[in-house]
Parts: sequence; structure tokens; C-alpha cells
Amino acid sequence: MKGYHDIVGDGGSRILDQVAEQRSRITDGLAGVRHLVAVGSGKGGVGKSTLTLHLAGALRARGLRIAILDAEFNGPSLARMAGVQVALFVPGSHKVSLPRTKNGIAVFSMGSVIPESEALEFESAAQGESHTWRATREFALLGEILASFEWGALDLLMFDLPPGAERTVQYADFLGPRASFLLVTIPSEVARGVVARSVAALSKGAFDGAQGRPNRRLLGYVENMSGYYCRDCDAIKPLFISSDEPAVLRIPCLGTVPFDPELARHCDRGFPLEDLPNTPVGRALDHVAQQLLDSLESTTEPPL
Amino acid sequence: MKFLCVPCDSPMKLQTVGPPERGSLSIVYSCPECGYEIAMLTNAYETQAVQSLGVRIGPEKSPAEASASAQSATARAEAGGCPFVAMIPGTQEEKPGQVADSTPVRWTAAAETRLANIPAFVRPMAKAGIERFARDNGCLEVDEKILEAAREFFGM
Repeated sequence: MKGYHDIVGDGGSRILDQVAEQRSRITDGLAGVRHLVAVGSGKGGVGKSTLTLHLAGALRARGLRIAILDAEFNGPSLARMAGVQVALFVPGSHKVSLPRTKNGIAVFSMGSVIPESEALEFESAAQGESHTWRATREFALLGEILASFEWGALDLLMFDLPPGAERTVQYADFLGPRASFLLVTIPSEVARGVVARSVAALSKGAFDGAQGRPNRRLLGYVENMSGYYCRDCDAIKPLFISSDEPAVLRIPCLGTVPFDPELARHCDRGFPLEDLPNTPVGRALDHVAQQLLDSLESTTEPPL
Repeated sequence: MKFLCVPCDSPMKLQTVGPPERGSLSIVYSCPECGYEIAMLTNAYETQAVQSLGVRIGPEKSPAEASASAQSATARAEAGGCPFVAMIPGTQEEKPGQVADSTPVRWTAAAETRLANIPAFVRPMAKAGIERFARDNGCLEVDEKILEAAREFFGM
């Protein structure tokens, strides 16, 4: 009797071929992108979206072609922060054009599609059992977005990832070996502990057995909210009490960024960082952007 | 998943996919050798698992059928039809009153084809926005010129 692998095709639907075609469309859509950089953490509320947007701005100011995909479909924040909350998606002859920020960064965010008063919902006959299918549906949607939108020729496509160490690994699996990871933490012990877990999770199975090379590239981490900038004193003051035994993150630190209430206000209103005068937070972000760029351009793999 | 006719040792071919009913699909296969037919009846979880992959169940469509179903899917997405209909070719026909067609803005066939490039999930929002742009510019028909004008207007 014939076995599964003796039979060519599946008799009609070509399910595996369809999945392969989806992957092929994604590969084609990203063919002009030099670097895929996923900004994750594992921990929520550490400023991933803020850093993603403003690192993109700092890189854009260097003349690089940048796009951001807000991969936090369930709690998208980049549409508001980037000022594309009322953006329009316009179909071209083959792909869909992306809205851009004032400084020319292309942004896809579900926040441009779904009002803040509503939650992301998928139609389904298995509602109430979404734990059995929802992650698959979200990744299928991510694939559709990557395949359908006009990413064009880019130096960097940055992904703002949702929280959760396991989600970070799922994105690593989905994006494949082309993606590099930048992790964000804050100085709290809890946050560093969670990020340490993400480093461990990303490092597991991160080596290509045949070639013995890393297939997930962890560029390093950024310590966000590393103190706050007091405008009255023109000084950085501590936000967190330093820990005696902070979790060790065995990846390079690309820099520290202080919290600046003015920057937070800018994010809420969708103003770019360039609107802020030269400040410690602006200089810190610029430094991290340069470190990120250097790390991407370096040929040596960072230690895992 | 593949099906084998054991007496003939021959792979079975997909014949028809019944319209979804309460999340269940009826997928009929037949043996090309002896003509024996079986039906695979899925439960809602199985249907949903496949639908979540973003694939379609059924015989391959011709390019013309694919274009027609994409346009129909656009209308269905707006009307909020059955979530599983898009999985099945040949079940795209709209029932009377199912398609929301209250907008006075028309779409040319070429513009509709372009609209099908937008992922179904965000298509209704994109369509409404473009129609608003057309109206704001005194047009009651969306054609490729309007789409290009929108791209230019929004700096894309």
C-alpha cells in the first residue's frame, strides 16, 4: 500500500503548495530589504515601541531607508506614536502602499486600521476556543502583510514585537535566519529577569546543526528608562534603585536611554524626535542607533 | 492530508467542497480508478485550524475565477459574511441583501482588481478611506487615476 510520501499532491487543495507560495511571496516582498531587525523584550511596558520609532528616526536622519511593522496586533501603539493613526492604505498595481511619517519612515500598524476603542477580532466558528487557533491566525496575517505591502528597497525593516518570551521565539521562527534581534529592558530586576529568559529562549536551538553557525542573531540589548531626565536640573536622576544582583544578560549592551517626560508627550501626540531640542535622551538614542548600525554591519556574530 | 483508496492503492481526488455549515465543511473525494466516494466532515476546530493558515480548500481556480472571487471577497468582507466561505472556491456568490452596497461610489474593474491586493482583513477600511478621498475630490467613481492621486496625496 502506498504511503504518504509516495503520493504527489493532496488530491485537490494543494495546502502545502499554498503555504509554500505564501512563504515565497513573503521572501519576494522582502527581497529589497537589507536588514530585518526585531525589537523585542519578553517584558511588556519597557518602551519597545518608543525605542523602535525613535531609533528608526535616528537612522532615518542618517539617510537610511526605514520601515516599521508594528507586530503588536492586539495592542498596536505605533500608529498613534508615528502620527499615522488616520492613514490610508492605497493599492498599487501589485502591492499596497504604506503610510509614512513626516520624516519618511513607512509604517504599518493595526492602529491605523482599528480604532483604539475596539479590539482586534477575527471571525471564527471556534470563538471561545481562540487559544487553539489565534496565534496561527495572527502569523498568517503577519505573512499577508509582509507579502501584500510595498516594502521596496529598504536598509532596515524594524519589527516592534509584542511581549512574551515565547512570542519572541515564535517571531524568530517565523522571520527566519535573516532577522536580527534587539532586546529592550529597564533597570528593574523583574524586567532584566524576563529579558534574560528571552535571551535564553532565543539562544535555544539557535544554531544551525549542519553548519554550526548561529541562525538567530542577537545584536544586544538596550537599557531603557535608565534614570529620568529632569529639565529643571538638567540632570539624569535615578528611576530605579540599583540592584545588588541584577540578572546577567549575556549579550552586548548597545546603550542606555533615560526616560524623558517630554519624549513621552511627543509619543502620545505623534511628533517625531526631531521636534525635540538636543537633549540627553536624543543623544542617547542617537548613540544606540549608531551601535545598532555598527552591529548590523559587522561581519562577526555577537556571542549568544 | 491525503486519502488513499485501499483496494485500488490509488490516491483519491477532491471533487467538491460543500458550503460551510456551523463551522463544518463537507469535502468529497473520489477514487479515479473505481469511482468510490468518501466525504470528510470537519468539525469547527479543524475548519478553523486550516482557515487560520490562510489557505483555501478546493480544486485549483483559473486566474479568471481567482480575480472574480477576490472581488467577491471584498464585498463579503464588508458585509461580514460567513468566515469560512473564502476557503472554498465556487461558493462566492452573494445572496440577495448580503452585500452592503449603500455607497454611491463606484469602482472600475481595474480599481477593484487593485483593491484585491490588500489583505482581506484591512480591505474594508482601505476601501472606505479611498471612497472618502474620491468623494472629497468630487469623484463618484474610483479608478486607477484616483488611486494614483491618493498615493501622491498621501506621499506614498
